[in-house]
Parts: sequence; structure tokens; C-alpha cells
Amino acid sequence: MASATGAASHPVPPSLSLPPSQFARLQPHAYLLAHLSPPAASNQPSIRANGRASSQFRVTSANAGSLTHTNGSAVVRMGDTTSVCGVRAEILRTEDIASWSVSRTSNEASNKRRRLAELNEKPNEEDEDTAADDEEDRAHIEDLNLLVPNLSLSTGCAPGFTPGAPPSALAQSLSHQLLSLLHSTRLVRADDLRIWYQPPSLGPEELERHNDDEQMDVDPNPSGGVEDHKNREIKGFWVLYIDVMIISLAGNPFDAAWASVLAALRDTKLPRSWWDVDSEMILCSDNVSEASKLSLRGLPVASSFCVFEADAAAGWRAVVIPDAEEQKARSQKKGSQQRWILADPDGYEENLGQERICLVVDKEKGGKGKTVVLKMEKHGGWTVDTDDLRQLVDISARRWDEMKRILDQC
Amino acid sequence: MAATIPSLAIPGQRLGPASAYSAGPGTHIQQSMIYASIAGPVVVDPAQPKTQLKSTIRVSRVPTSKPQTQTDSPAGAASTLPKPKPRYNTLPAVDSIVLARVTRVQKRQVAVSILVVLDESTTAQSIISPSSSSDNDNIASILTTAANPENHSNTDELRFQALIRKEDVRAVEKDRVVLDEMFRVGDIVRGSVISLGDQSFYYLTTARNDLGVVMARSEAGNMMFPVSWKEMRDPVTEVGEQRKVARPF
Amino acid sequence: MSILNVFNSPTTFALATCVMADRRRINGPPGGTRPAIYATSLPSIKDADRARRQRQPSELRKIFLKTGLIPSASGSSYLEFEPSASLAAARANPKSLIPPSSALKLACTVHGPKPLPRSVAFSPNIVLTTHVKYAPFAARKRKGHIRDASERDLGVHLETALRGAIIAERWPKSGLDITITIIEAEDDRWWGDAPDSHDASWGMMNVLAGCINAASAAIADAHIDCLDLVSGGVAALVTDNDGGAPQLMLDTDPAEHRSIVSACVVGYMPARDEITALWLKGGTSKAALDEQDGRSGHEALVDGAVDAARGAHMVLGEAVKESMERALGQTT
Repeated sequence: MASATGAASHPVPPSLSLPPSQFARLQPHAYLLAHLSPPAASNQPSIRANGRASSQFRVTSANAGSLTHTNGSAVVRMGDTTSVCGVRAEILRTEDIASWSVSRTSNEASNKRRRLAELNEKPNEEDEDTAADDEEDRAHIEDLNLLVPNLSLSTGCAPGFTPGAPPSALAQSLSHQLLSLLHSTRLVRADDLRIWYQPPSLGPEELERHNDDEQMDVDPNPSGGVEDHKNREIKGFWVLYIDVMIISLAGNPFDAAWASVLAALRDTKLPRSWWDVDSEMILCSDNVSEASKLSLRGLPVASSFCVFEADAAAGWRAVVIPDAEEQKARSQKKGSQQRWILADPDGYEENLGQERICLVVDKEKGGKGKTVVLKMEKHGGWTVDTDDLRQLVDISARRWDEMKRILDQC
Repeated sequence: MAATIPSLAIPGQRLGPASAYSAGPGTHIQQSMIYASIAGPVVVDPAQPKTQLKSTIRVSRVPTSKPQTQTDSPAGAASTLPKPKPRYNTLPAVDSIVLARVTRVQKRQVAVSILVVLDESTTAQSIISPSSSSDNDNIASILTTAANPENHSNTDELRFQALIRKEDVRAVEKDRVVLDEMFRVGDIVRGSVISLGDQSFYYLTTARNDLGVVMARSEAGNMMFPVSWKEMRDPVTEVGEQRKVARPF
Repeated sequence: MSILNVFNSPTTFALATCVMADRRRINGPPGGTRPAIYATSLPSIKDADRARRQRQPSELRKIFLKTGLIPSASGSSYLEFEPSASLAAARANPKSLIPPSSALKLACTVHGPKPLPRSVAFSPNIVLTTHVKYAPFAARKRKGHIRDASERDLGVHLETALRGAIIAERWPKSGLDITITIIEAEDDRWWGDAPDSHDASWGMMNVLAGCINAASAAIADAHIDCLDLVSGGVAALVTDNDGGAPQLMLDTDPAEHRSIVSACVVGYMPARDEITALWLKGGTSKAALDEQDGRSGHEALVDGAVDAARGAHMVLGEAVKESMERALGQTT
């Protein structure tokens, strides 16, 4: 009832009193406004209808590695939004890549011929992260579609998403946002995904020794030297199918989905794999101790915001670009809190604000270095300016610390 | 068979013999025993000497509803609410009072989307008792879902739709009704269900003083207040607009 | 010499090709991908590693069931089976990347009662719609994004089991959508076993029982009138020794048995002693029963499934009571 009277700043029929729940449903904008700008007399703090302060995120928890049939998995709950992510690795053989043999050097053709005569395989190599590698990273991961994220909302997560129907526009958009963020952050290293074959070009006694090495799989090719590197060829790639199921949707699906993808990739283990010349196929070892985790680049954390404007009619009037005079009036209003930037909006708030901001930040040196903005997206309005964005980056940086703590624990 | 009646029941739980009690909402009878059909607190409404011979067992749909132990009402709330008719579901029924948003105004009828089904007890007076709340009253659920499902592409699948026909708008001068002067898209209307209609629409009436538009925005976008039974006014621009206004309580 | 253990058939190849045409999803490499093939030497996958049942024949797995976790739905539930002994051991002390068995995990939401779509004719009753979908990572073999025949089949079985329990005439001209997302499914057999003559999708029957229990809890959470909390249970006739007669076991995990001869799943209402759905697969004639047991094999099997469902009903009742008490606690 307090909220109904709180909205009296906008004169509603004086004696129309409704319980808060009905008021929330009938006049969502006035309901949220009444919470954010309580009458001065009431001495109540400005607080969102869900009880959070405007820059406060929902309680977040993460749990990784609980799904049996995945290479890596995570469940992330942000308030009432729940996202489950499972990473499944499958093998892409280079012979199944249409353009592969064309783009390779002739040197490989000779390797192939040599391969037939000999039998052995070579463990993966650890490469330094250089600029040249970056370019190759992009070429391999993006051109060969090695990362395949798909998000599903057809889980009964909220009313309005028909189960069994093709992915909604929102689901498609979220899947693509995940994909482009995976690509632009270069989170996964292509080298973790490559399956190498080292054709033996050694004498018989050397060969013997390599057979011994195979048992241990720790020997980083001490004797082969430069020549081996040259002959080495890629036989296949690991393709990561990153499937995100939004089990419960209560606003801000992207932050939750991305957090679950991040946690699942951190949990992902790939088996040791090699080219078996006998059977002419890529084989894997099921030994856990031989499997390796992905070495991810950094820890990009997403933070989303939405803008709630006090102008009750904002959603009603056609959106027009304000002329200079209006702009001035607007900037004057700013001092008197005419709009609120709400962090991690819930489903109710999301629908009351047109303007959205999404920031993805990382911190160098595992949190000790400076904050790096990896993605900045803002659309749907004009009220947020550069000063605001700077503040939002600060909030996102604080969120990063929080998320790092949560992800490190899971 | 004189076992005590449990205070909480789950579906399929035996509550009492049908010979001693009559079965109310939230229960069903199987082989002359009353069983619960929903989970909730069990309420025994005492027999009323003239109309009912047996006490009625029902299972309350809402956890707060405990009229037996009249303690839940906020201070000042009247404790003698008129006994509502037994309701077996939370769907709109004939004589239900609903709050609905106008979605389309046509020449002969107005289409609305039902937002809230009010229980009878709440509409009779302005005092709101928490026991009147129904399933669509859960704040947590409202706050998690989109505030304006109207923006959704498939609105009609989410809310019950209803029509107000031209002749059901008001009790007098029915033939002079011009619907454009009664309702605008976006208005919140209090209406009473007169028929369950066909598969897609309920039928509402506003032909009572207490029924009609309860909330409306002006052309300028401001919330208006009622000034008469057929006019509301914008507090900022002072411009009046025509509506079929519900009498404010 | 190493022997190839190819437990994943190459059907994923076909799957990748059909997904390729899907422009509304992000597709993998156009040439398709293959699941990992593990080279495991033969002696090590001998019976020593085989998952074995540690429970008594009539002992059920523990079920974790919680309702009301998804506030935007009118009703919801989350169900999880206790991991088998072998899976628990593998989790505690991981050695192989190949999991010995899996434990069912699923989420269920109920939306409604809501208006029927315009295309649907007037109905004086509530119209039930059920959807069951596996997450792509739910099973040993990667599932497609589009519902396949077995998922549709599960949906139909689930609807049958629930329809008999819901008091549909209390909710005229409205619809109820029940959606189940399977996050982790049950295996059909031990992964190391080659498909054999007794093979069938046994895991699906456990999944169905889980779906019935979860849906029942979610419907109760949504306050839709029901005759009873309909519960699901599974029993099976299994042979763990060569040549031995099949034994009756309740709540079988197919990964823990050498061979399942037949299995039965029921949807059951204890308060009325009524079966709403029954699904029995396989032959029951060779069942090893007591001499004085006058029942035929399939009677014993159905009785076993009913016993399992009774066990699940206790968990269901507790979960529904618990959520009710939680709701009461919040409001007072």
C-alpha cells in the first residue's frame, strides 16, 4: 500500500488503493518510480522494487563440473536467472575440412607420403603466445568454427517462449553475442585445440626411444629440434560445442549465460589425443592425469545495465531525437535524478527501460593490473554519457573482483 | 473415521468423511471420503444453520489465508468480510471483477487483456485484506517476469482476452455510445465478467457505476484523475478527456 | 597392441549434417565432427571396471527434489538422482575420462493456466501440453537441438501419466504447458558393453519416471487440482550372471547391469491405488520368482514398478510439504 501512496507524485485517482502486487502489474512504471523516488517526507531511501541499490548486482553463485557427460560444465545462478552450460569436445579431422589441403603448403603433401611408411605420433607442443600466433588463432578458431556456442530459451524458463519452437529472436541474438565475445576476447587458444602429428624422420633407435616417451607424454620433444617442427602437421582440431540452457529467466540472461560459459570453459578438460597411423584415425586417452585443461586468456566478466527514466510517458511517446532546447532541459534535470542506471536488471526492470548498456571488462595480471574494457555496447537511448560510462566501468571492475572470487571458488 | 483433520494437506491426502463434511474448493470426493486436490492449509468453514447442514472442508489456495485464526489482517482491516462464493480456480468466472488493459478499440467492441482477477470481497470495499489475494498476486513472480508482456510478440497466449461490446458499456443511453469516447488503448478498466464467451474471448460489462476506466493517461502522457462519470483530466495540461469513468471509492 | 573401443556410433555425422541447414543456430564445422574415440587396451575394460549395483534389489536411489525454484513459472521443480556408487567413486577419485554411469538431473516448469491459442477449439477442460527435451550435453551421445522421436515419445508418455491425475474440468478453456529439460540422462547400458539382443533404450524409462515425479511436484506447486501426487517408478528383470534367471530389481540403473531382459515404468496414484500410465518392454516369461509366488513375470514386474513409485511418492509428498511450509513461513 505504501507504494500506491508513494506514487502520489503522479496524481492517481485519490482513493484508488490497490495491493502492491496489483499496482505492480497495472502500473509497472509508476510502481518502480515510487520505489526509486519515495516522497521526501517518508525518509525512505531510494531503492529498487526488488530491494537492491541501483548499482547492486544480484546474489550470484556458480558451481562447476557437476555434469557427467561433458568435458566441462557449470551452473550459474544470478538471483532467479539460472544458466547451465555444458562444453562437449568433438574432433574435426583436417581431411573433413574442404579447404584444408588447398591452403596448406606442398610440404604437407610430402609429409603425407612419408606418413604411410612410418608409425608414431608426437605429443602436443607448447607454443609461446606471440603476435603471429594470434593471427593464426583467429584464422583457425573463427574460420573453422571451432567454438560453437548455442543458447536455448525453449526450456520453459519464462512464459512466452514456446518450447519446441525454433529459437526465438532473443535466443539467436544471445547465441551470436556469446560467439562474438568468444572471438573478440580470444578467450580460447587455438593451440589448445590443435591435434598434431609428428612424422618420425629419425633412425630406428631414436624411434624406440620415442615409443618410451609416449607412455609419459611429458617430453617436449628434446631431440627433434627445428626440423621436426617443420614437418609437424595438424591432423585435427577439437571443436567445442558450448551449449547454454537458460533454465530460469528473470532478466539479464547475457551476464548469466556468459558467466556460465566462462566457468564451464575453465572447467573443461581435453583428453590427450594423437594420430594413430595404424588405424588412420585420431585416438584419445581416457586417462584423467593425461588430460589437460584449457589455458584461457584472462577472465572477461560481463556486466549489464538498463536505464530507467522518471518520465512516465517515455514508453508512450514516439521516440524522437531531442532538439537542442530539450537537450538542455534534460541536462538540467540530471541533477535532480531523473533517471537511474540499474545494474543487473531483473525481468521487470528490463521491460521498463529502453536503454541498455553491456560492458565486458578484464583485469590484467589476474586482478592486480589495470582494468581493460573488452566490449562496450550501448543502445536504445541517449541519456547515458561518457561520464556515466566511466562510472559504469568502475562498477564493472568491482563486479569483476566479485565474479573472480565466485569463479575461483567453484 | 473420526481422525483429526490435518492442518496442511497435499494432493491425494484424505481429509474426512463426506458424510460429516461437504467438500469445498481444493478438495474432491472419492468413495465417500474427501481428499485434498491441491497443496495448502486445510480450512473448515463451520456449518451455517439455515443454508448448510454440514461444515465445509476446503484447501486454501493461498498460504496466507487463515480466516479461522483471524490474525493476518493488517491493523484496521475489517474482520467480517462477506463470505465469498466458493471458487474452484483462479480463472475469470461469471461475475468476477477483473482489471484489464484496453488493447484495441473498434466500432462495435473493445478488446481488453485481463491483468488481474479480483475476488469478490475486495471489490465490495476499499479495504484490502491479504486473504483476498490469488495466484496472480505473487510479487516475486511479477518482478521476475516482464512488466509489459504487452510488448511481447505473443501477448495473446499469455493473458486471457475479453471483449466489451458497445451495448455493455453503460446502463443508460446504450444506443448513443461512441466507443472512442469511452476507452482508449492502454486504459486500465474495471469490468465484470458476464459470459465465458467462446474459445478465445470472455465478455465483460462496465454498465455499473463502479465499473469503467480506473487508470488512464492523457494525450500528453500524464496520469489523469477522474472529474465526473464521463470525464478525466490531465493534472499538468488541465485538458479533460472523455472516458467511461468508474466511480472512485 | 591397442584395441579400439568405438562406443559412439558415427550417427553424429548425420546429425551434424542436418544441423548444418539450421540457420537460426550457430553451426559447427560444415564437414561435421566426430566424438572422441578412446584407445583403451582390452584388459582394462574387462569386468573389473564395470559399474555394479551396490543396493539391495528393492532399495531405491535417493531422490533430490525441490519445488518453486523458477519464480516466473506458475510451478516448477528440480529433480536429481543420487549418483550410483561407481559414479560417486569416479567423481571422488577421477581416473578415466569415461564416466562409469550417470545420474538423472532434470528441471520442470509449469506455465498456466493460460489462454488457449486461438487455433484451438473451445475446451471445457484444461488442455495439457507436455514437452520433454534433452540438453545437447545430457547423454553420452550428443543430442540435436531439434526434438527427436524419442523426446516426443517421452512427452506423450508423460502426458498420459499426468492426464489421469489432473482434475481437468476445474479449469475450463485454459491450457497448461509442462516443459521438462533433461540436463543429465540415464545410460541405456554400461558403456563398455557392445549392443546386444536385449538392448533397448532402458535409460529412457528411468527418465520417464523422473519426468513424472518432477512434473507432479511442479503441478502441485502451481496449485492445479489433482487427484493425487502421481508418481513414477521403474522395475526391471535383469541378468547379471551368464545363464542365470532374470531377477527383479527396483529402480534399476541400466549402467549397473550386464543385461536387462525387461523393464516397466508406471505412473501411479497411491491414494487411489490406480495406475495412470504403464510402459513395459521386453519379455517377462523367464523371471525368477519364489516357488510360492503365484504371480506371472509381468505381474511381478508391474508390482515392482508400483513399489518403486510408492517410494518416490514419499519423496514427492515431503517436497511439496516443504515448499508449502516455506511459503507459509514467508508470509507470516
